[in-house]
Amino acid sequence: MNQVFVIAWREITRLRKRFSGGASPLAALALLAVLGLSAYTLRDSVSLGNGLYRAGVSGDVPVIDDSRFSILTVTLEDGRALLADGAIDVLIVDSQVFAREDDKSQFALRALKQYMEEFELQRVSSSFVDEEAFPLRVGVNYLGGQQPPAGSEPQTVKPEEIIIPSITPPPAPFTQVLVALIYILPITFISIFFTSSFMDEKANRRLTILLSAPVTPFQIILGKMLPYAVFALSTTVLIASLTDANIPLALAIFAPTTMFIFAIYLMVPLFYRTFKDTTFISMLVTTLTTAYLVFPAMFTNTSDLAYISPLTLAVKMYRLEPFGWREYLLPSLPMTAIFGFAMFAGTRLLNEEFLMGYKPLTCKLADAIYLMMAHSRPWFAVTLWSFLVIPAVYMAQVVMLAFATNLPVRLILAAVLFASAFIEELVKTVGIIVLAQRGVIRTVREALWLSFLSALGFLIGEKLLVFVSVSVVSEAQVSGALFESGIFLLIPLTAHFIFVSVVNLLRIKLKFPYWLALGIGTIFHFIYNAVILRGGA
Amino acid sequence: MISPFFAVVKKELTSVLRDRTIVISILIQLFLASFSSGLLLGMLSLYDPDTILRFSDGGFRIAVVADADSPLASLMSRRGLNVISFSTLQEAQDAYYRGEVLALVDVPRNVNGLTEVKLYLPESDTISSLIRMVIQEPLKQYENYLREQKGVNIRYADLQGKPATSFEFMYSALIPMLMFFPAFVAGSMSIDMITEEVEGKTLQTLLSAPLTISGMIGAKITAAVTLAVAQCMAWLALLRTNGTEIKNIFWIVALALIIAGISSTTAAMTAALLQDRERSQFIFSLLLLAGVGISTMLKISPITTLSRLAVGDAYTSGWNVLAFASAFVILFWMLLRVSRRLLK
Repeated sequence: MNQVFVIAWREITRLRKRFSGGASPLAALALLAVLGLSAYTLRDSVSLGNGLYRAGVSGDVPVIDDSRFSILTVTLEDGRALLADGAIDVLIVDSQVFAREDDKSQFALRALKQYMEEFELQRVSSSFVDEEAFPLRVGVNYLGGQQPPAGSEPQTVKPEEIIIPSITPPPAPFTQVLVALIYILPITFISIFFTSSFMDEKANRRLTILLSAPVTPFQIILGKMLPYAVFALSTTVLIASLTDANIPLALAIFAPTTMFIFAIYLMVPLFYRTFKDTTFISMLVTTLTTAYLVFPAMFTNTSDLAYISPLTLAVKMYRLEPFGWREYLLPSLPMTAIFGFAMFAGTRLLNEEFLMGYKPLTCKLADAIYLMMAHSRPWFAVTLWSFLVIPAVYMAQVVMLAFATNLPVRLILAAVLFASAFIEELVKTVGIIVLAQRGVIRTVREALWLSFLSALGFLIGEKLLVFVSVSVVSEAQVSGALFESGIFLLIPLTAHFIFVSVVNLLRIKLKFPYWLALGIGTIFHFIYNAVILRGGA
Repeated sequence: MISPFFAVVKKELTSVLRDRTIVISILIQLFLASFSSGLLLGMLSLYDPDTILRFSDGGFRIAVVADADSPLASLMSRRGLNVISFSTLQEAQDAYYRGEVLALVDVPRNVNGLTEVKLYLPESDTISSLIRMVIQEPLKQYENYLREQKGVNIRYADLQGKPATSFEFMYSALIPMLMFFPAFVAGSMSIDMITEEVEGKTLQTLLSAPLTISGMIGAKITAAVTLAVAQCMAWLALLRTNGTEIKNIFWIVALALIIAGISSTTAAMTAALLQDRERSQFIFSLLLLAGVGISTMLKISPITTLSRLAVGDAYTSGWNVLAFASAFVILFWMLLRVSRRLLK
């Protein structure tokens, strides 16, 4: 443990040296100040559709202070001519509004409607007494599932919620998701420094010295991560206290997320070959994690699947709505599991030969998988591998779902099924293929036996995950479809076994290219999934 | 001078293509585009009343218990809801439990000078939030009606128009994102290309070729910008095939090129000053964010200019693009002054 702290302290010194002296700390501070200022002044004014519309005004018209509109003051005749020409999209003359029939003008009209509604509301509320300005109250009640006996009042399940229609906040959790994203931003920035630290050591060849010292790779990674993790968690505390959130709860929600983001960024320095690689890989990683975090959270309260993302918990926290243990574990467990997996991978891969090798990325990945598997007997390594990659598969499938929602409705399910079949086949077979390439596996019997174990490990992991998620997600058809929650375990096990064997034998025995073998396996798997789904529905 | 210059450009371009890193960049853009439009679609189908009503096909059957002369029921049916009248709450409730209606609206009554309406929704989160969204507009109109009864007049209440979210998203978010993300990548790439030579101690070797330091940096920037512009043109072609109407294509490509130039020049300048990747990338990201912030505050944002060019705004032309070109020229001149520091 002591060594971990020594490395952590060394890391802090390194960072201090790098950012002291010269103009860079000043520049960073000045830039942060500018950023803060512009964020502050722009916080209300920037919206979708910035600067898209032009409006002509003439006569007594309220001030239009909306970033979507540029305003021209015109006379009535000029205004009509400009509108007909398409130079302006709407013409406002006193309390009358003119528009053309074409789409752009009609869009501008809708935007104007939104702005004017808001504006008039403020005018009315400041110049009239409350009961004249807001004469309507709506009591919202929720009916229980049981019909009460005739003659009694409706049976409601939640306390009545009184709303004023014109000033009800929109139901979409935009604001809360944005606030929740503020937590993620510094974590990402900090983990980029964590990545840089490894790259720096690698470029200066100091990592070699460190690796020859009497410390384990695990201690090195942990020690280097420690200062950044502490820093990331303190920003979480800071943001929570600035936004009046429950600090322990915020920490509980964002600690697994922090671990997850660090885990992902730990992979970057292990795999990069040139600086350009790092830039591109980091960008990809940032995009994918943001998608994974934001997409489900936007559907808080409309779908239980939203609990896939920890941001949903944060949204709930800001709305002061309660959630239970299971809802907490659904996003947190897979993230923590990924962290564990990444730490394991990191300790296996942190050696000079792997770090310095310049090979195509696919070769590097194959090397990495081999290094992770070579620690024990193949039968154990293969089963464990298939079991441990489940959370990663699960996350990849969620991202895929987000990706597929653009497709025409009929294609969405098919695309998701196909893509998830592909990922599943990939992770189940890749370990065996790598072992075969290195000559660890020689006979068909061995390949078949390992295929069976891989299928078994995957199935156990999969069922465990379905078990956790079904208890939270009432709309389990979707996750059921993704994870084929068949009742008879024997059928899916056989199916998994067949698909894995097909891919492995095609590749190992018949020397098919891997992508082709994988494609064939995926098609089998896809057909199986489609049949199961049709039977279930 | 010319041929070593192009040799460096070629070297950088082939290395990007060989390492397949550009594939990742294109993947990111594809992902960003489809993710954000997927999100928009999802949000629209769950949170936008117009879209919900269009797809529901009269499926929102709402029981209203009200006097015949109350305008609430007619406002609701005018909005496209399927209103079924009942004379008592009891009958409406029976209909609800028989599954004939999805929600109940009880008779408006006067309580201390205020009008009170009671809404009874099913317990299911999904259905009740959909109903709350589609019933919002008629409730607001009813509120305006009540205001008028009290002598409070709301102006501009009868505006309609068409739902604009998709249009606004396409022209103010998606197209600028696709045009400027490659510029951002070009900047990051310039830093990588320059600091890699410095940190790998290969800069001196490179300069022993008949190439000046400005020539070397110029070549690297040219490589980065070329890639960015190629990506932009590919996106524009794809968008066109997809049926998206984009005006002023020439000026849009010119603007994308200039912004990629500005981004990579700034990046190269940071790299020349700081000479290591870690700090350069960090400061460059901050500079970029600050640049976006400041230009938006001063209302000269390239994003807005691009949106306006794409929709064919009557008051935006090549002159607006040329304003950015002059900024690019000044920055490039500054870079030439700064780049000598790399030799020390």
